[in-house]
Amino acid sequence: MNIDEIIEGISRKDSRSISRAISIFEDELLADKAEELIRKLYPKTGKAHVIGITGPPGVGKSTMIGRVSGFMAEEGRKPGVLAIDASSPYSRGAFLGNRVRMQESLGEKGIYMRSLTNRGFKGGLSLSALGACKVLDAAGFDPIIVETVGSGQADLDIMSVAHTVAVILAPGLGDEIQAIKAGMMEIGDLFIVNKIDREGAFIAMKEIQDTLALGPQDKWVKPVLGLNSLTGEGFQEFIAELDRHWEYVNTRGDGKARLQGEVALIMESIFRKSLERLMSDEGGAMETLRRVYSREIDPYMAAELLMEYGIHDPARSTRLK
Amino acid sequence: MQGGKYLADGKSQSLFRDKPIKVLLAKPGIDGHDRGMFVLARAFRDAGMDVLYAGLLPTPEDVVNTAVNEDVDVVALSLLNGAHLTVFKKVMDLMKERGIDDISVVGGGTIPDHDRPKLEKMGITGNYGPGTPLKVIIDHITERAAEARQKKNRI
Repeated sequence: MNIDEIIEGISRKDSRSISRAISIFEDELLADKAEELIRKLYPKTGKAHVIGITGPPGVGKSTMIGRVSGFMAEEGRKPGVLAIDASSPYSRGAFLGNRVRMQESLGEKGIYMRSLTNRGFKGGLSLSALGACKVLDAAGFDPIIVETVGSGQADLDIMSVAHTVAVILAPGLGDEIQAIKAGMMEIGDLFIVNKIDREGAFIAMKEIQDTLALGPQDKWVKPVLGLNSLTGEGFQEFIAELDRHWEYVNTRGDGKARLQGEVALIMESIFRKSLERLMSDEGGAMETLRRVYSREIDPYMAAELLMEYGIHDPARSTRLK
Repeated sequence: MQGGKYLADGKSQSLFRDKPIKVLLAKPGIDGHDRGMFVLARAFRDAGMDVLYAGLLPTPEDVVNTAVNEDVDVVALSLLNGAHLTVFKKVMDLMKERGIDDISVVGGGTIPDHDRPKLEKMGITGNYGPGTPLKVIIDHITERAAEARQKKNRI
């Protein structure tokens, strides 16, 4: 398949073409192809509601996404799912376990779902996940549901690209809710307490509401919902709230802020990757670092030199006096 | 930089530009003996691969759909119930029907010696039995993944 065949396939919602396109964004060796692909795809994008789902491990994100995408498909919508897993920092391998949890509803309802890994460093994840979003958008999937690990900066990044962010928690997290307050309470537009049949669910919901009440007040009042992924309880309300937020986003017209965020995210990813390469053992910054080690220059000076000359041409910074 | 960015052998992850090998482990058919699959999943992950498991009791259709949607390089099929000649064949037939030539298929489980040539003829290689060293399996997957990747990247 060449790029034009892939693009033609995407417009037909052909799953092989969609899958190949996403892989191209995952493989840095195909960066030229990825560039061509996004240039040709971008005009076809911009219609889908991107929903980010985040929360601590074990609260039931994948199972819930399997359920909610199933209900949406029954209503005649065309949901697409992206799930991000962490890869091992030691072997760079990953076990992509999300899919198993949603397999049943995916198979029955013909929902497209794709697993991505963070590849051990932030830049890679953000770029390939962003590319995957564009592919699904161009293929006509709506909404696009993105599941993240629920920890780490890369998650927050990809959330900044979502129109609606739902934070999922479960009863019994206890003090974890306290810890989550700082980061996730700000990025969430909706809050879910999953496993609502468990003891302590209502207390968890109340705690979240209390915390939100102390936060900045917006026109959008952040709803706190209870879900049970086994029985399907609460899902109709959840879908209604997602729609209501999508409507709110469209009337508020914050397109500019999102574009700023998106372009900044791409730039940051590119910059971070070249920084990581520069600072690795094979990266070319070693000579400058040796000068710091021998106390010839200070670390701040080294950073300045590398910043100015090293990011594009690491060899040059070593020549500077 | 921070320790987490280095692999066990001290190589920085950011220097890897290629996409890791992606493998789907599946036991299509009525066979719930998945302990071996978990051992393989762990071994493949530790060998630097992205590993998917199809879950319990997937149909051949599920397996092919997952393989396509996830764009895996290799589908690794396993059965311990003796149905490999029918079920593995069904997977191969479905792939042929959909014109998929860029995903390699390997097999394993309790497969009698005299069945191996039949599976090979279908295009299913490996067909390793109990006691096979993990390294043999990993090397075989790596080889078949390279074949698949070469076909995929003809763009």
